[in-house]
Amino acid sequence: MIQIQSLTHTYPASRKQAPRVALADLTLSVAEGEFAILSGPNGSGKSTLFRILCGLALPSSGKVSIGGFDLFAQPQHVRRILGVVFQSPAVDKHLTVAENLRLHADLYGIGRGDFSRLRDDALAWSDLADRLEQKVETLSGGLARQVELAKVLMTRPRVLLLDEPTTGLDPASRRNFLGALQKLQRERGMTVLMTSHVFSEAEEVDRVAILREGNLLAYDSPQALKALIGTEMVVVRPQGDAEALAASLRAELGLAVRRHGDELRLEETENGEGLPMLESILERWRDQIRSISIKQPDLEDVFVHVTGRAEPERASHKELGQ
Amino acid sequence: MMGVALALAKREFTRFARQPQRVIGAVAQPLMFWLFLGAGMGTSFRPAGLAQVSYFEYFYPGVMVMMLLFASIFACITIIEDRDAGFLQGVLVAPVSRMAIVLGKVFGATAIALVQVLLFTVAAPFLGLTLGGAGAVLLLLGFILTSIGFAGLGFLLAWGMRSTAGFHAIMMVFLMPLWMLSGALFPISGAPGWMNVVMQINPVFHALEIIRAPFYGDGLALLGQRGYLLSLAVVVAWAVLSLLASMMRVSKRELGV
Repeated sequence: MIQIQSLTHTYPASRKQAPRVALADLTLSVAEGEFAILSGPNGSGKSTLFRILCGLALPSSGKVSIGGFDLFAQPQHVRRILGVVFQSPAVDKHLTVAENLRLHADLYGIGRGDFSRLRDDALAWSDLADRLEQKVETLSGGLARQVELAKVLMTRPRVLLLDEPTTGLDPASRRNFLGALQKLQRERGMTVLMTSHVFSEAEEVDRVAILREGNLLAYDSPQALKALIGTEMVVVRPQGDAEALAASLRAELGLAVRRHGDELRLEETENGEGLPMLESILERWRDQIRSISIKQPDLEDVFVHVTGRAEPERASHKELGQ
Repeated sequence: MMGVALALAKREFTRFARQPQRVIGAVAQPLMFWLFLGAGMGTSFRPAGLAQVSYFEYFYPGVMVMMLLFASIFACITIIEDRDAGFLQGVLVAPVSRMAIVLGKVFGATAIALVQVLLFTVAAPFLGLTLGGAGAVLLLLGFILTSIGFAGLGFLLAWGMRSTAGFHAIMMVFLMPLWMLSGALFPISGAPGWMNVVMQINPVFHALEIIRAPFYGDGLALLGQRGYLLSLAVVVAWAVLSLLASMMRVSKRELGV
């Protein structure tokens, strides 16, 4: 449904900066009805890719087809089957919910006849039914996001692109939003590509792509990705000199030890091996260890493993207004 | 395309009507300009050849053009706000023609400008100015074309801008002079030679001509005057060109190298 072929994008040089390669020969496809998540640290090229996919930027080279249409030659056909949820709100907060929906329907050529049916359909899952006459600026962050999603779903897109749609939401609103999204995606067989930093969001999707510096490092199902690292890992928080402890663990156990923030991780551990290892480490290095634990790897750990660096800064997220 | 443009224009107007400060500012500011400058200048300066026209009356159509300028330009500032707030990206990814995006803004701006300037037109009888039916139609046409011209130009300038402060600066050094050199404040006949030339090629000068003319001539007779038709043609060309240029600007997607 979405086919990206050898996509390269280089930002032109400016006075202060040399040209910057944001995407380097990226090839990726999302099959019809699949839910894919695109993740990567800040500056990995996610946003560039997103801007290209929704038709706001043209790449340096490469091809993208969405729903069988060439995105660069026939953008008008692609726009018709595409729904886009941006990170910053694309609703007019000075207008009411109803006015926003009506305007969006006009943009997509939905006639008066179909409008009320499609609108009710798009609102069915939401908590907006009795807030139609409220201005969007008076709604909470979670509800404002619902307007965003309802608006986009109203046009019945076959392909839905979302750019960090849950940024700025509290955990409960985030779960509601994703729950609704996943349910609708399955019901309608929509193809969904969503960028996200939050790995708990990715556990139940079909495919996860990990990008770094414009390169695709991994693209697979969450299960397959987790299998990249062992099924268990031992996590040691050292007391004192972490490098020294890491070196001595490496030397004496002959295992790969990965530094992650103030933690040392022994990732290549299979089921059942964790506990004996924990005991033997504790016995030998007790005085250098603050805490030690066994952990089931999740996608965040895969991300750390694959990108070889700590989880991207959460603090750099742009906070959404209330 | 028109349906989409009208839906977008309706949004502009709704937003305008919901901000009373904007309504008040847009009407009060030119009105004060007119009253204070008109009253002050009228008694101090007496231009040659304008003995029978009070400065109030001379300045009146000029204030109309200023209203159209400000209303259209302020409406275009919302392009920068729309981009900032995120609304614009939602419109850009929608399956709408790029011209509809331009027209939505421009029509919205024109509707806002018309409300203001028509309110101001109510003052005409107090100056002893009268309009026939045909004259009223031509005046309205002049308002609409001028407003489209200003809004199209404003659109073109605002599209690539990231800050409203920058837009204000551009407005002051680029758009205000167009108005100052339009004959709104002083007649072209008294201007020095070089300025006379600049004024003749200034589309706003011609806009002022087609707005001033219906007050002083029979509407139908105007359509037979070469001077009027020339000014009309210049304003139409200005409006069309700025719309086309804006559309091309919107169609351009940012490029990689």
